[in-house]
Amino acid sequence: MSKTLFASLAVGFLLFTLPSVPAQARPQESQSGKPASEDIPPVRMIADPYPAFNGIAVDPAHGLVAMSDPNRKSLLLYDRLRGTSKGSLSVPIRQIIGPDTFLGMIAGIVLDPDHQEIYTANNDIEDTVVVMPYSASGDVKPARVFSVPHQAWGLALGEKADQIAVTVEVQNTIVFYNREVKGVEAPLRIMRGQQTGLADPHGIYWDEQHNEIGVANHGNFRGVVRNTGGGCSPSFIADDEPEAGESRPPSIRVFAADAKGDAKPLRVIEGSKTGLDWPMGIAYDRQHDTILVANNGDSSILVFSRNANGDVAPLRVLRGDKTGINHPMGVAVDPQKGEIWVSNWGDHSAFAFNSGAHGNVAPNRIIRSAPQGTPTPGFGNPMALAYDSKRDELLVPN
Amino acid sequence: MTQPRIAVFARLANGNAAPTRVITGQNTLLGRTVHGLAYDSARDEIVVPNALADAILVFRADAAGAEHPVRMIQGPRTHLVTPHAVSLDQQNREILVASLTGKRINVFRDDANGDATPVRVIEGPQTELGHVVGLAVDPDRNLLAVANTHEILIFNRTDNGNVAPRARIVGPKTGITDEPWQMEFYNGRIYLAASNHFHDNLYEGVTLKPDAKEVPDDPWLNPILGFMGVWNITDTGDVAPLALLRGPFSGLIHPVGLALNPKDGEIYVSDSVRNGVLSFLVPQFFAQQDLTKLSDRQAKIR
Repeated sequence: MSKTLFASLAVGFLLFTLPSVPAQARPQESQSGKPASEDIPPVRMIADPYPAFNGIAVDPAHGLVAMSDPNRKSLLLYDRLRGTSKGSLSVPIRQIIGPDTFLGMIAGIVLDPDHQEIYTANNDIEDTVVVMPYSASGDVKPARVFSVPHQAWGLALGEKADQIAVTVEVQNTIVFYNREVKGVEAPLRIMRGQQTGLADPHGIYWDEQHNEIGVANHGNFRGVVRNTGGGCSPSFIADDEPEAGESRPPSIRVFAADAKGDAKPLRVIEGSKTGLDWPMGIAYDRQHDTILVANNGDSSILVFSRNANGDVAPLRVLRGDKTGINHPMGVAVDPQKGEIWVSNWGDHSAFAFNSGAHGNVAPNRIIRSAPQGTPTPGFGNPMALAYDSKRDELLVPN
Repeated sequence: MTQPRIAVFARLANGNAAPTRVITGQNTLLGRTVHGLAYDSARDEIVVPNALADAILVFRADAAGAEHPVRMIQGPRTHLVTPHAVSLDQQNREILVASLTGKRINVFRDDANGDATPVRVIEGPQTELGHVVGLAVDPDRNLLAVANTHEILIFNRTDNGNVAPRARIVGPKTGITDEPWQMEFYNGRIYLAASNHFHDNLYEGVTLKPDAKEVPDDPWLNPILGFMGVWNITDTGDVAPLALLRGPFSGLIHPVGLALNPKDGEIYVSDSVRNGVLSFLVPQFFAQQDLTKLSDRQAKIR
C-alpha cells in the first residue's frame, strides 16, 4: 500500500487527538475535494495513544528486553538495565511500527540471541508469526513471515531442536515448525488430542535442559475431534456437531519437548491450591528450577517448583501494591542479572524483580510506555459493543 | 490477544479513559473472540458468548470484577458451535446466537440455562449461511436480518431448519465486500458495521488447506475501507445505504462493533485498526425524513 496514502488518511485525524494508525487504505473522497457528506467526525473517541505491553522477552547477551504491543501494533526494544525515573516515559532503543511490518494484534514474543531475531505471534486474523531482525526499526518489512493456524498466542524457541513451538487457542493445540520456516509450510509436528488436556493454551516455555515444554491453559474447551473449524472462518464440515463445550479449570501442563499427537502430559498443575487465575505468559527459571506464571486474573506472579504436580500451592507468590503488578500478560527470566521481568496490561509498564523475590516487594526497575498514572482503556481489538441505556454506559469486550 | 474482559465506560468517556469497572478473571468464564454483545434492558443483564467453550454467558448488568455469570448455556443439547456473536429479541424474549464455524443461528429463550435445547436453529445449505456475525430482529414485521459473508440476508423471524432467506441486500451499491460485522435494529432500519476487512485463513483447523501457497496480505490493510451503513429492513437487492458514516474525518477504517443510542442521537462504533471506540452524534440517522434526504445526497455523490 502506497505510503502516500498514509498522509491522506491522516488529514482527517488532525482534527482530533487520536492515536496514529498504520493507515493503509485509500479513503473514499468526494469528487469536489471537500469532505463527503457521510464523512462525519466523531464527537468522542476512547483509545490509548500509548503502547500497551503484552508479551515480554529478555536477551542478556545483547542487553535487551523486548515487548509486543497490540495497541499500537508495534515491537519495542529497551535497554534491560535502564529503568525510568520519577514516573516518566521510557524511551525505547528501537520501535518497529508501520504498515510494512505485518504487526497486528500481537501476543507472544521470543528473542533468539544466536540469530539475533525477534519472533512475535499475530493472534487475530493475520494468522502469522512475524520474524524481525534485531536491527529492525520503524516501518520495515519482516525478515520472514510464516502462516500459522488461527489464534496463535504463545511462542517458545528450542535452540537445540532448532524449532519454534506455537500455541493455538481455539484449536487446543501446539504446532511446531523448523526455526527457519518461511511463508506457507505445514507444521513439523502437532500436539493435540483429548489426552493432552490442552484447553485454550496461552504461554509456553521450552526447557531444553530437561527436554520439557510447559503450557499455560485457560480452560476453555470445545473439542479436538469434531467440527473444530477454522476459528473465525466457516468450517468445511458445517453439518458436524462438535464435542460439547466445557469450562475447565486453568492448568499448567508439562510435556516431553519432543512429544507429538495425543501425548499425555508428564505433570499437571491444576486445582484450587494452585491459585491459577487466567495464566498468560509462562517461563522457566533455570537458576531456581522453577516455573513462573503471569497470573493475569489476580495480578500476581506465581512460582512453582518445576516438578510440581497436581493440586499444589506455589512456592512463592509475588503480589501486592508495592509490586505494582497489574494484570500481567508476560513474564521472562534474565539469568545473567538474576532477575525476572513482568509486563503489565493494566498500566503501560514492565517491571524487573529479583528472581527470588516474593510477597509484596517493589521492583528493581520500571520501564514505562506512558507517564506514570496515565489511564488505559485496555482494549484488545474490541469487536463488539453494547449500550446500557439504564446506566448510560458503554460495554466493550476484548 | 489480550485480557478477556468486558470493560464498562461512562457514555461520555473520551480519550485514553480508564473503564469505570471491568468484568474479568477466571471466575467470569469469559474467553476471547467476542464478536457480539447485548444488553437486555428488560432483565437488566449482559449476554455474551464464549466461542472457545461453546457457551453463552449471562451476567448481572452491574457485575464487576471476577463475578460468576448468573446463567450459562453450555452442553451437547445446545448445538452451539463456536458461538461468537449474540443478539437479543427483547419483545419475544429470545437470545439469538451466530456461529460462523457451524454456519448456523441458534435461538434460545432469554431465561435458558445449562444444557438447554434451542427453540429454533437455522442451518443447512438452503440458508446460505456462511460467515455469519451480526443479527437483528424486527419484531413488528417478524423479520430477522443477518450479516453474512458479503451481504445481508433476511429471514422470517420464526424460520427454523434448512430454509432459504426471503430476501438479501447484496451487490456493489451496498458497499459491503467482506465480513459485515455487528448489526442493530431500530424503527424499521438495520444499522451495520461493514468492516470490509479480508480474512484469508490458510488452515482448516490445524491442517493447511491444499491450495494454500502464499501468506496473504495483512487483512487490516485491505484497501477497501469499511463504513457504518443504514438500510430499511424491507430493502432487497443491490441497494445503497440510506445513510453512511465513512471517510478520513470519520476515523473509521475497519469498523466492527456497533451500538445505538437513539435517545441521545448517538451511534457507537468500534474499529479494529483504531483499537478504539468512536461516538458519533447523528440524530438525523434515527429520523425517517432526514434519512431520505441523506440518501438523495449520497446518490448525487455517486
